[in-house]
Amino acid sequence: MTTHHITFTINGAQEEALVTSHITLLAFLRERLGLTGTKNGCATGECGACTVLLDGEPVNACLVLAAEIDGADVITIEGLAHDGELEPLQQAFIDHTGTQCGFCTPGILISARALLNRNPDPTEDDIKDALRGNLCRCTGYQRIINAVQDAAKAGG
Amino acid sequence: MPAPTDVNIPAPSTLAMPSPGLPPFDYLCPDDPDEVVALLLQHGRSARLLMGGTDLFVQMRDGALAPRVVIDVKRLPGMRELSFDPADGLHVGAAVNMNALAAAPAVQQFYPLLAQAVASVASYQLRTRATMGGNLCNGSPAADTAPAALVLDAQCVVWGPDGERTIPANNFFLGVRKTALQPGEFLTRMEFPVPPTGYAGRYIKLGRNAGGDLAIVGVAVLGYPETSAASGYRFRFALASVAPTPIRVPEAEALLAEQPITSGLLSQAALAAEDAATPINDLRGSARYRKAMVRNLTRRALDDVWNQLQAEG
Amino acid sequence: MSTTTTNPTRPVGDSVKRIDALEKVTGEALFADDLQFGPGLLFGRIVRSPHPHALIKHIDTSRALAMPGVKAVVTGADTPKQIGLYLKDRHIFCRERTRYVGDPVAGVVATSEEIAEAACKLVEVEYEVLEPVLDPLRGMAPDAPLIHPDLGNYEVPNFIFPKAGTNISNHFKIRKGDPDAAWALCDAIVEDEFRVPHVQHVPIEPHVAVAKMDQRGEITLWTSSQSPFAQRNLIAEALGLSQSSVRVIAPFVGGGFGCKAGVTMEALAVVMAQKVPGYAVKLRLTREEEFFTTFVRQGLIARTKIGATADGKIQAMQTEYFWDAGAYTEYGVNITRASGYSSTGPYEIPNVRADSYCVYTNHPVGGAFRGFGMPEIHWGIEQIVDMLAEAIGMDKAEFRLKNCIRTGSIIATGSTMHPVGLVECIKQATAAIHWGTEERASAPHKRRGKGLAIMWKAPAMPPNAGSSASVRFNEDATVTVSVGGQEIGQGAFTVAAQMAAAALGVPYEWVRVEGPIDTQYNPYEWQTVASRLTWSMGNAVMAAAKDARRQVLDLAAEHWGEDVDHLDIKDGMVISYRSEEAMPLKKMVVYGLPKPAGQGWRGGPIIGHGSFMPSYVTGLDPETGQGPRSVVHYTTGCQAVDLEVDTITGQVTILRIAAAFDVGKAINPDQVRAQIEGGAVQGASTALFEGFQLKNGKLANHSFVDYRIATSVDVPFEIIPIIIEVPQDDGPWGARGIGEHSMVPTAPAIANAVADAIGVRVLELPITAEKLYLALEAQADGMPV
Repeated sequence: MTTHHITFTINGAQEEALVTSHITLLAFLRERLGLTGTKNGCATGECGACTVLLDGEPVNACLVLAAEIDGADVITIEGLAHDGELEPLQQAFIDHTGTQCGFCTPGILISARALLNRNPDPTEDDIKDALRGNLCRCTGYQRIINAVQDAAKAGG
Repeated sequence: MPAPTDVNIPAPSTLAMPSPGLPPFDYLCPDDPDEVVALLLQHGRSARLLMGGTDLFVQMRDGALAPRVVIDVKRLPGMRELSFDPADGLHVGAAVNMNALAAAPAVQQFYPLLAQAVASVASYQLRTRATMGGNLCNGSPAADTAPAALVLDAQCVVWGPDGERTIPANNFFLGVRKTALQPGEFLTRMEFPVPPTGYAGRYIKLGRNAGGDLAIVGVAVLGYPETSAASGYRFRFALASVAPTPIRVPEAEALLAEQPITSGLLSQAALAAEDAATPINDLRGSARYRKAMVRNLTRRALDDVWNQLQAEG
Repeated sequence: MSTTTTNPTRPVGDSVKRIDALEKVTGEALFADDLQFGPGLLFGRIVRSPHPHALIKHIDTSRALAMPGVKAVVTGADTPKQIGLYLKDRHIFCRERTRYVGDPVAGVVATSEEIAEAACKLVEVEYEVLEPVLDPLRGMAPDAPLIHPDLGNYEVPNFIFPKAGTNISNHFKIRKGDPDAAWALCDAIVEDEFRVPHVQHVPIEPHVAVAKMDQRGEITLWTSSQSPFAQRNLIAEALGLSQSSVRVIAPFVGGGFGCKAGVTMEALAVVMAQKVPGYAVKLRLTREEEFFTTFVRQGLIARTKIGATADGKIQAMQTEYFWDAGAYTEYGVNITRASGYSSTGPYEIPNVRADSYCVYTNHPVGGAFRGFGMPEIHWGIEQIVDMLAEAIGMDKAEFRLKNCIRTGSIIATGSTMHPVGLVECIKQATAAIHWGTEERASAPHKRRGKGLAIMWKAPAMPPNAGSSASVRFNEDATVTVSVGGQEIGQGAFTVAAQMAAAALGVPYEWVRVEGPIDTQYNPYEWQTVASRLTWSMGNAVMAAAKDARRQVLDLAAEHWGEDVDHLDIKDGMVISYRSEEAMPLKKMVVYGLPKPAGQGWRGGPIIGHGSFMPSYVTGLDPETGQGPRSVVHYTTGCQAVDLEVDTITGQVTILRIAAAFDVGKAINPDQVRAQIEGGAVQGASTALFEGFQLKNGKLANHSFVDYRIATSVDVPFEIIPIIIEVPQDDGPWGARGIGEHSMVPTAPAIANAVADAIGVRVLELPITAEKLYLALEAQADGMPV
């Protein structure tokens, strides 16, 4: 079992760490960095609760090795709000009741953030498709979709 | 009333279950392809290549794979490059991720069938990591990008102990989880020739739900005008998830080349596809349903392609 | 108890934003696995039975114990007493016998999850494999192997009736009128069998528990829980401890739907922690374990016969329910009871016979799942009613309107129905999908159909399940509400804050609700189940707020020398309607008010207390199931579905679901609509995709790869939520529950619409594309479908 020295940015801050080869990015974020906003729901890339941005693109952190993020930029849910100011997306989720139990919410917000980054004016079908890798068992999705549409109108 | 099942099947003394995390291994990130070859030869079956990891890590957690060495090849030269040349066609590095592949302007413009197949895979965040190269190398009968590779006549370029060689996609799949890769070899890129002029294509995937399921059935159809064919057209068919490997359907292809195309002939081609399918019963669907779906969805894809060709013509 | 009319209603009735939304959109909301315990934290993993039914002949833990990093190994030898919510039928770790694939046999505690997992493989267990029972009908047979040979000796409450020497853990009966005589009067009789497979709740947060025992033997348990108090009680009893020696701390729950109620895996963590005093031990389930080692929705075989006269009046109904309850019955015995007394569905039927059997099998443990038996029984009820309407030749909505319960109806238990708005629900839901109007399908190969289903459900709980709350002021007159009910996503904390604000007369924004729920500090709540919080906990919050309000007004009255009846609290100000005096609550609610001329002070920190427990639910006769008041209340509703079936693939596309529910009073209309929408999608997901594939007791589809649930691209094009408000006499502001009800009628409504579209009746869930396609093929071949 090899160990690896990695340098990366996390939510804008430069960090370094020594990691074993088989620790996933998800476990590294939650257990080493204490960034528990990213959730563990299945460990197989199916539920999307662990979605984070890796170099600007969403990934399932459960299927990425911590050793692979050497030189990369990682954004988690904790990195969305700045200086106490919520992102329009976050506000839209509050306004539209886009969250119930809240466990899937961080992953969904990251997927939605990534969508608006690549497509600032998505259709309803675009939004549904971008979120199909994020399982939610509470809301029935429509309020989440409405929230993303609203945030897009507000300039994302 | 079905009879109660009270048969005792001998069971193991422990319950094999996926582990919470990944088992330990050495993670290596070589920067020279020959080093990869050497590692593969040295470690044999206890080495696995890593590109997106979306299949590898799941199988490792399940205990289906337990490599001592995981070799990350996505940073090797060319592995993440994509290029298009009007004469040479499309070259896709094996580790180009699926989202990058589907978003490439050349793919959108000249190979929309490929973009359709990719878009049917799992979810956007999974496709940020998943690669078409990995999808092909897994050797899964259900691989969504395989039918597209087959009907687009892709060539698989591999690097190995004897340097580079090319394997046509049509010869790449040997069995469930078995490919034509030899010991020490690994896939470096896929090459797609310039598609036939005036072609139309369609990939239809049927899952249990719409949200990126594994295919119960996947059907790719590609058609193009061809003066050398008696019918004036040639078609290519490929199927996923209904045989030990993704397959072409030469019987249906011959049928549509040899006779004038009518609605009845399209139906016959769909029946030929059904005949070619040898699916199994599994959790996703029965063999009987799968065969029927091969027929119906081949017909649906074929109608769509035929309409496009008519509209073009 | 009467509803409050003197208090201002606001913010009750307003769609205020969720009180927990900000924490949840920033990732700051803490769930059990997010709590930090430092580097001394130990991890547990579980050795599980690979056999559905076996005797444990020998366990050797020595190799596991010898592994570096392993701190302890626990087995059934460490858990002599039995545990169970109603029927105490299981050991925390198996002792002589294992009863399902996944039954916990041993637990390993180690310095890491990885070491614990590896050491589990070194625990050697020798089994003698027994014949398993894999079907409830087989389990009922006289020669079936006995899964619980000691059933007759188990501790059980007086409303559950296990049959010693059988696999039947409860048999509930309804005998009303004379169905046998009534059949002769009927002009149409329909009879059929309906089946429901096991399904799983699929909370996105898997179960997790962290337990620690200190050197005094006191236990603390941090866990994702709908039932902190029930867990405290059951675990304390099973371990021979005082309830005050077990402390349960429950942060936000990442989805419950019933699977985090009662005691599942939490007790495993506690027993493991007892072996390593001073250390916290974390046990978290993998997604795969989540699928079959926690509670699942029970399987059901329902046989129903129903008849009506030519005028469209239902005359008789006879039902047998065979519940595939699995290895143990934490909730199953009471689901059996609830399904028995609700077996007629929301219909007034003079002649009823029902037999509901809870049958042990060697399947995963049955439990409560959103609706507590009601989605399962309505699957058959609402289809057979449709079939009967067809046989009589009546419109299906009209048939239901003719037979459904109304205010004052006599229901199956002989009880009288309280005020109910079901008729209005049916009218509004059907109107919303243009019932009776044929509409074109979107393509030639598609068939369009409409269907409806109605429902009822009562909170199924012990008759004396109680709630309590406290309301206390802070210096600036902000309010802290303390409850024992849990926020599981349903909005319980939000409505608690709304109710407290309304009863006190302060703005909603001034109110906080304490979390996590901590049994050491928070007041008692039976459990967060049965859609009972808005109603039961709401009554307690309202009482606590009124208590605090009375203290404020008494103080102000004394201060001003006025009659308390002339005073009120509005927007955080105490006002007098007579003298037009006004003063802010700020400071006075903690520091009191000065007496004149420096004579001292009066008042003091204000804290209000409130409790609620229904006192009027009566027992039912064990032979007839008859009694004056069987339940506290029923929530009723109707869903109407408009869909298309693709005849080429068999796939169903839901175009619209209109869903109307009588919630008594919507404390927060937006949250009610959110429950109605979410329930419809969960219901549609179970209807179209979900079901356990059990092979010799082992779950074949134990992951998201093969257990599909609805995603964002699978949802209906449109959901139309409709709120009906016929007030509940004993509910706060007239409210009754809505959390579970929203998914109860979905599956049969879809099945009825499918039957309307293509003439295919699906009797066994789920309604897969494959089933419909093969039925269409058989139909085309002229075969019966």
